[in-house]
This record gives sequence, C-alpha cells and structure tokens, in this order.
Amino acid sequence: MIITVTKGETLVKSTIKEWLDNCIEKLNAGELTEADLRGVMTALNSEKQLLLYLYSKSTNLRSPLGGWALYDTTAPDEPVLPSQDAPYASVLDAVNDGWRIVQFPRPELYNFTDVDNTYLTYEFILEKFV
Amino acid sequence: MINVEPTLNDLQVMQFIHNGYITLESIVDADFNKECESVDGGRLNDFVLTDEFRRNVLLHPQVAGVVRSLLGANFLVPTSAHHHLFEAPHRGQTWHSDGITEYGYGITHLQCYYYPKAVKIEDGPTMILPGSHHRLVDREAIAHYGDILGQLSLTVPAGTVAMTRYGIWHKAGPKLNADRRGMIKFSYYRMAMPKRDWVRDSDEIPSYQHQGRHPYVTEIESYRDRRRGELTWNWLCGLTEVEEPIPPIQMFNSGIPLSAVRFQ
Repeated sequence: MIITVTKGETLVKSTIKEWLDNCIEKLNAGELTEADLRGVMTALNSEKQLLLYLYSKSTNLRSPLGGWALYDTTAPDEPVLPSQDAPYASVLDAVNDGWRIVQFPRPELYNFTDVDNTYLTYEFILEKFV
Repeated sequence: MINVEPTLNDLQVMQFIHNGYITLESIVDADFNKECESVDGGRLNDFVLTDEFRRNVLLHPQVAGVVRSLLGANFLVPTSAHHHLFEAPHRGQTWHSDGITEYGYGITHLQCYYYPKAVKIEDGPTMILPGSHHRLVDREAIAHYGDILGQLSLTVPAGTVAMTRYGIWHKAGPKLNADRRGMIKFSYYRMAMPKRDWVRDSDEIPSYQHQGRHPYVTEIESYRDRRRGELTWNWLCGLTEVEEPIPPIQMFNSGIPLSAVRFQ
C-alpha cells in the first residue's frame, strides 16, 4: 500500500492515550473529575473522514485501477508530486485495508454509446475515519 | 504565401489521432528562449505579432510543418497568446479541458504550449492525459480526479513546443519550488477542407492502424477509441463520414490566414 493514513490515526490514538494516562494518574491520586473523562470523549470524537476515489477497469471489485484520488484532511496542505503507482491493486484490496465503500458505480447511469468516451469509469468512492 | 512543408507521415498522423499530442523538443533558438523567459505573464497579443516570434516559434519549420500536416494549407496563424507564468509553490491545477470541448471527429484546432525554459518535475510542469481529447466531459466534473495511469508530466528542455488536439485534458502540475515556470499558449485553426496532403509514400490511402490502449482505458473504451480514430483518419483523408465546421469556433484566440502573413 502506498497511501499512508497512519499519521492522523496515530495522532488521535496518542492523544487518547495521553488523556487516559492522565486520568489514571488522577484516579490514583483521588483527583479524577467528570471534566477529565469528558476530555477523553472529546478526543474520541475528533475522528476525521478520509475519502478515496478509485477508478476501476470494470464493475468487478477485483479489477485493476486506472486512476485514484485521495482527499486527506489530516495531511498538510502542500503540493505533492504526481504518481503512477496505484495505492491499491483493486477496490477489494482497499476494502481489505479498512476502507468502506460509500458509493458504487451504477452503469445504467452512464450514457452508453458505441463510439464516444466521456468520464473515467468505474468510480468507487470509499471512506475511512482516522 | 510563405511556403510551409508538411513534416508528418501517415503513421505520425495516426499517432497524433490516437495520442492527441506531439512534442518538438529543443527546437527554438536558445537566444530567443532567453528573451522569452523574462516576458511578463498574461496576454501577449503584441509580442506574438512580431516577426521574431513568428520566425522563431509560430512559423518555425518544424512547428508549422506539424500544423500544415494536421490542419492543411493556409491555416490560421495565431495573433494572440497567453503566457501562463507560475512562481510560488502550489498544489497544481485540477484536470480540465479549455473552454467548451470542441468535441468532434475532425482535427480543426491545435493548441500549443511553448516552454522557453527547461521544466523539471519540481517546477510544476504541464500535465496532459494522452487520448483524453476523445472524451466529451464537463470540465468542472473532472476536477476531483487525481492521478491517472498514463498521465504525462511535460518535463521538457528549453525551447520545446508541445502541440495538442484541442480538448485534451491538462493541468499545471504540483509545483514544489519558487522558480519561474513559464508556458506560452497559442492556437492554430484549420481553414481548408481536409485531404491527405501530408508526407506520403504513395497515393494509396492506408487503413487506420489503432495505436494501442492507453493505460487508464477500459476494454470497451479502447474499442471506441479505435472506431473514433477511424472516423478522424477517414475525415482527414477526405473520405468524409462526418462533417465539421471550418473554421472552428475561436473562443479565446484569434488568427490570420498564413497567406496574409508578411515579414517586415
């Protein structure tokens, strides 16, 4: 897998761990309060949605990919060089890595003709929370 | 009329039909490249009318030879251009085709990119998607696309001219540095009905040879590209199966017939 989403995930987990360590310390000292526990809840609710567009060569989830786009709000807003290495071998490969499909391509919505091509096919949209 | 000889042969014309672009590397004189490097960004309508721009770029024998091959005799020579100049780092443009698609089976409009300075991958080169000129799309509806198999970053030496079939998907790629990266864009238009008057070995018109499948293309799309390529080839050879407006729409650019161009 090329796409790395562990940075944000690690950040959230480390924040939660820090809060829990702090809570245990306060519990042992008899100083734990409701506000401390609500802080853990806040950290748990700070999940962010990542979106991954995958363009499959057919409606079969095992088909190879022709294109992809990752929208990652946890990544810095900086230019990234283009790549020719697909993040996954197929949509199924992405699902196996924890991505959930939120939109399947529906071929009946494509304007089928014998001569003219239009948009990239077949567009799967997947999500992951980190 | 200034004499312009065609430079492409049957196979090269078929390759252009398939890919939608051709690049002519390092063809412009080094001194003229230097002069163009410092030109301001934006419209360049006066500059492109100068003899030196015409001689060095617009009517350079290799550039004009490709135009003559693909657009026929007495094509419209550009009288306007735009200097796309980038300096600050940026994430890159989104994939798009310019204006309305000018979707059709003919080749009536060549959009060209001239790079006075070498372009490296960190400079945010123009990216193109070979074969995408065959696709009818709403430009805003492809803006979420990211990397596409077969996309091409035009990392080119100074003095390169890339010539595309209008409608090809393109964008300025991500730019990592603050170096100046310029590209002067201009267009040629067809004025004559098509016929097979490029470089040829015989008068016998060969059948269209499909040039393979672009990496991002599905199997059915490849079949369509083949059929569409045949229609374009037959049209270019004067075996008209489809009709196209000549001259085509000139939405952003203008030109004058080659026959009206005079050097001072």
